[in-house]
Amino acid sequence: MRSIIPVFTALIKGWLRTKTGIFFSFLFPLMLLLLFGTIFGGTGTQKYTLFIQNFDLEDGKQTELSEAFINALESTNIFEIRKLDPEIDINTYVKENPSFEYNYRILKIPKGFEKKLYEKSMTIRLNVILSTFSDFEKYSGSMNPDDLKAMREGKEKLTQLMENLPASESVELIFLAEENDMSAMAVEGIIESVINAFNNRLIGVEEQAMTITAEPLAEKNMTPGDYYLPGYIAAFIMTNGVIGATATISELRRNGTVKRLAATPLSKSSWILSNILQQTTLAFMLTAVMVIFGWIIFDVHALPNIYAILLIFMGAVTFSSIGMILGGVIKDVEAASGAGNAIAFPMMFLSGAFWPIEMMPGYLQTIAKFLPLYYFHDGLRSIMIMDNPSGASLSFLIMGILSAVFIVIATKVTRWKEL
Amino acid sequence: MSEKVIEVQDLVKVYKDVTAVDKISFDVYQGEIFSLVGPNGAGKTTTVEILECLRNPTEGDAKVLGFDVRKDEKEIKKRIGVMPQEFNAFERLTVKENVELIAKIYGVKPDIENILRELGVWEAKNRQFHKLSGGMQRRVGICMALASDPELLFLDEPTTGLDPQARKETWEVIRTLKKMGKTVFLTSHYMEEVERLCDRAGVMVKGKLIATDKIRNLISKYGGGIKVSVEGRNIEKAEKMLKSFTEKVLHEKNTVIGKFKTREEASKALAQLYQLSDGYKIEITEGGMDDVFSQLTGGRVDDRGELI
Repeated sequence: MRSIIPVFTALIKGWLRTKTGIFFSFLFPLMLLLLFGTIFGGTGTQKYTLFIQNFDLEDGKQTELSEAFINALESTNIFEIRKLDPEIDINTYVKENPSFEYNYRILKIPKGFEKKLYEKSMTIRLNVILSTFSDFEKYSGSMNPDDLKAMREGKEKLTQLMENLPASESVELIFLAEENDMSAMAVEGIIESVINAFNNRLIGVEEQAMTITAEPLAEKNMTPGDYYLPGYIAAFIMTNGVIGATATISELRRNGTVKRLAATPLSKSSWILSNILQQTTLAFMLTAVMVIFGWIIFDVHALPNIYAILLIFMGAVTFSSIGMILGGVIKDVEAASGAGNAIAFPMMFLSGAFWPIEMMPGYLQTIAKFLPLYYFHDGLRSIMIMDNPSGASLSFLIMGILSAVFIVIATKVTRWKEL
Repeated sequence: MSEKVIEVQDLVKVYKDVTAVDKISFDVYQGEIFSLVGPNGAGKTTTVEILECLRNPTEGDAKVLGFDVRKDEKEIKKRIGVMPQEFNAFERLTVKENVELIAKIYGVKPDIENILRELGVWEAKNRQFHKLSGGMQRRVGICMALASDPELLFLDEPTTGLDPQARKETWEVIRTLKKMGKTVFLTSHYMEEVERLCDRAGVMVKGKLIATDKIRNLISKYGGGIKVSVEGRNIEKAEKMLKSFTEKVLHEKNTVIGKFKTREEASKALAQLYQLSDGYKIEITEGGMDDVFSQLTGGRVDDRGELI
């Protein structure tokens, strides 16, 4: 085991001195980040498309209050609001418009929105007045008896009035989104904060005795870079392992370096661990470079926390083990590199690392969910954008199992004798 | 004879349908340069790699420094130095870094400067391995094999692919190893190399070891003896004299050649020849490993190691 550090150092030094290695590990990913980041959405603040289906109509027109609510949503500058005809049946519409499928975030404003809100707010206001009367009564000792009487009469009348009012109920808005749509959670959070503000204003309690700053979940001034960065980090850790480690291992095997090392007391497991340690180091270096680059160019705010680091570690182990397996099993260097490419490229594009998986047809989405990279970038996104490590528990579970399984296979197939 | 450092008994290695090593037995003694010599595909590398614990034998026994290659892999690897065939190191590491790496794997702290100076690569210590010439790379390989200060070194085809000058320089390095007191086990398909460099050799063809002995003994047994050629006037006198020592006498124009089995026979005849010297030009040639090989196998090995 004492040999791990010297061998790891040798591998890292060798890698740092290879220009093509640095290009493919660092510069190439950065170029793609720049390219994709610019193509998908420019460098401005991300806007979410929100479809609104307003059923609260009066003579074919939107009611005043529902329109005011929509305007309030629009004024956040976060949504690009598109209105959907209430005649449309959403379920069939979604199926008939495949392009619509990938980001259907729909807010349904129910019929009776205005009426119910007024009734509810009236009840609330009356309750406020009644409780104010009750408060007054506590200090009634200093009051003019006539005034007190008048007040009590008024209170009684109000109570009667309230009993005659129809039972008020809260308005329930329905928000529809794709189950796997991470950003939908952010959208929902923003709508919720708009609702809160709207409620307050409607009730008319202008001066608040207490304030709370609502920071909607995961809404951290997202930029497109924020959305894409975790996907890139995951994808390039994968290519570094599946393509990079495969090429390195098969070349070291071909040129006899592995045989040279096998003839020393270095053990096979030390050799494998040194390689995995090197790949893990590369993965962290790549993450750091991507985050810094993303921060400078795209004003990205997503920072890897301890959970992200743990998941990146698992990813690096999984994919470099796959590289060790390919490089260890396939004798020919060209064939090994070919196999690495044949696995890495489809996985990179099919797993939805570069674009929302919802953009892809259903059957491809199913395929994506069989790919390790999907769980890697999905979990990383959940942690880095949504700030929601528990949302990544499936990713942790799958990546944890895969890293253990692949490292065992790599140890089994790596030959230290009969090379 | 000194102590045995390698003992091989009835060693067999079978790959799927090929018997690469076919029941061979030999010993190597401390302090000598021993070579397995033969064409490509003779089973030399397979044999060496079994001894280096890089391959498992199919049958038979092999002991290296008293340890069994089947059971004591760790003990053997700790004690030997190895330069594999078509040897390579980490290409982007410098000469010094590569030697240091091997030392760290063995957990030893050798005097690296001394090793590099001794083998003439100190000047190149900071050059990356892939930038070195083939000859220099082999020397670095030998430095790496020396890093753990082993008693026994295995050099598999140490001069293959080198130009004649680099080959001769590598021989010098190997002679240095002997002077250091190391035992050197090498493989080669260059007959001249084995003849000039080694103390003992085993001739190997198609997995079989045909003969193992001191180079001198091999040559006197299978080298076709000693040729004495005499040139000059009055050549008949010399011819008559040579015929009284050996039956094998050839007469071509004004040259007579007599063939002798041993040096002793030849020297008796030579003594007489010099006495009756009549301005003769006398040339003595002894057979070499080339002759030994063709005598034993009926073939020759070309420069690339192919059997012809």
